[in-house]
Amino acid sequence: MKIPLVILVATLTAGELAGQGLRAVGSASLVSARVRSQVPAGIDQFTGSAFLGEGALALGRVRLSASYLQGTMNPDGGTATARDLVEGTVLVGVRALDWLTIESGPHARAYSLAGSTQRWLFWELRARAATAFVGSAAQGYAELWRAVAADANVPEPFDHAQGGEVGMILRLARAPLSARVGYRIDHAVLGGGTRLETVDGVVVGVGLSGLP
Amino acid sequence: MRGGRHLAGVCVVAWALAAVPGALRAQSSDSLFATGLRAYKNLEFDLAAWLLRRDLAQLSATAPAATRAAGLAYLGAAELFRGKRDSAAAAFRRLVLLDPRYRPDRLVFPPEVTTLFDGVRLQTKTVTVEVPRDTTMVPGTGAFDIWVIASSFQTTEVTLRYTDGAPFRALYTGPIGDSLKVQWDGLDAAGAPPPVTRVVLRVASRAPTGELAGIVQVPLDLRLVRPDTLPWPPPPADAQLLPERAKSGAATRSLLGGLMLSGAVATLPALVGGTDMRSGPRIAVAGTIGLAGLLGYMVHRPGRPLAANMRANQTLRDAWQRRVAATTAENARRRRDIRLAIRAGEPTAIQPRGP
Repeated sequence: MKIPLVILVATLTAGELAGQGLRAVGSASLVSARVRSQVPAGIDQFTGSAFLGEGALALGRVRLSASYLQGTMNPDGGTATARDLVEGTVLVGVRALDWLTIESGPHARAYSLAGSTQRWLFWELRARAATAFVGSAAQGYAELWRAVAADANVPEPFDHAQGGEVGMILRLARAPLSARVGYRIDHAVLGGGTRLETVDGVVVGVGLSGLP
Repeated sequence: MRGGRHLAGVCVVAWALAAVPGALRAQSSDSLFATGLRAYKNLEFDLAAWLLRRDLAQLSATAPAATRAAGLAYLGAAELFRGKRDSAAAAFRRLVLLDPRYRPDRLVFPPEVTTLFDGVRLQTKTVTVEVPRDTTMVPGTGAFDIWVIASSFQTTEVTLRYTDGAPFRALYTGPIGDSLKVQWDGLDAAGAPPPVTRVVLRVASRAPTGELAGIVQVPLDLRLVRPDTLPWPPPPADAQLLPERAKSGAATRSLLGGLMLSGAVATLPALVGGTDMRSGPRIAVAGTIGLAGLLGYMVHRPGRPLAANMRANQTLRDAWQRRVAATTAENARRRRDIRLAIRAGEPTAIQPRGP
């Protein structure tokens, strides 16, 4: 399984690596996040703000990206206590087309509860499409991912999980700065639907691109 | 006694000629002239006159004028010393007509010879014309030099004529002493470049009485040389010009892109299954993106003047106009820069019939 994947990556990136240097992008965003956890005993909803830092290195068509999100989710009513939300991803991807990137890698999430930590680990396959739609100043993007495997320290067995993000990036004409606004959501189903975990949020941030 | 010796010499030569006619015919003109000159120096004037006359008869018209002139000079002198003054004058007249500039060497010929020659020269009105073989000139400002050399003081008419004899341009009419330089500016009587390719330069000599003494004509082949004009520079090709009005593509892309992204934001929860989330923030994001698309449509609205492209196109058109102006000026200069090439032929002399 791994050998054909390596061959596919080598084929897609052939001729690109030699002609292009390493390119880095980074961004810092504020995420207004919401977490909804539905179990047979009831529904817990949390809202809060989180910091999201993302960075990526691109060499030719190959892309290595990582993200880190941290924030505190406060209960939206009910008797639940506040929980800290920590997320991280490490993805390796290939730009299959000028507007399409395929990525894969682990996506970890942790809720710090009183006395315990709830850990989630998704192995994701992502597809991201991006293209400019207002001249070259505004680029729209849409991203969908699906977990091909998952591990969570919750009683229910993992069923499936998927998510996505849609937004736009505004680029300044003569500066490497960009502004970003988007909406993201992911939804996990466990125990045949007895447990539903949904996290969504509005992302507003700034980015820096073109670093050597 | 002396005349008898000369007569005997002539007879001997006549016998020799009758005996070996082929040999004498084969004898070259140079040796005839040399023999005649030797006879002249030996004071055998009858023999000298006979030999020189034979020599001149054998010389073709293409023989060098100097050779024929020398023969005529000695023939005239020999005839004079033979007592035949009319024959001497006739020989000298031929000499003057052949070369009006000729003057017998006063160290070689005695005064009676030179005096007779001068008398004949003064009475013989003729000219010779010297023109350059090939000339290229600018009509109007340039000059085609014509040297007219006269045998003696006379009145001359220097004219250019069409080949049918009709007057083309009068250049000079008046007296001439020794020589005269006449110039032609390359234009016709109306001041225009010549419309024909051939004219005849005619110099007519007139005696003091007004009667025509002789005409010398030189054919002149004319050719107007016009430099080629430059072709017009081609206007900027359509492929070089940028569109000066915005097309609908960018505007449509903005509007449709915004709508699609907004729709994607709105439907994303349904796509991934998280339909229970509140839609307020999501709609805000969708609205923001939709508004951006609408703004993009307005910024890139179809038909909007593209100032930068218009400036770039105007720069191209201005450069083309400058090239057109430069070409126009260059072509005007080239049209004015007409050259007249003149090739002169061989002069011919026409003598009026005597009374």
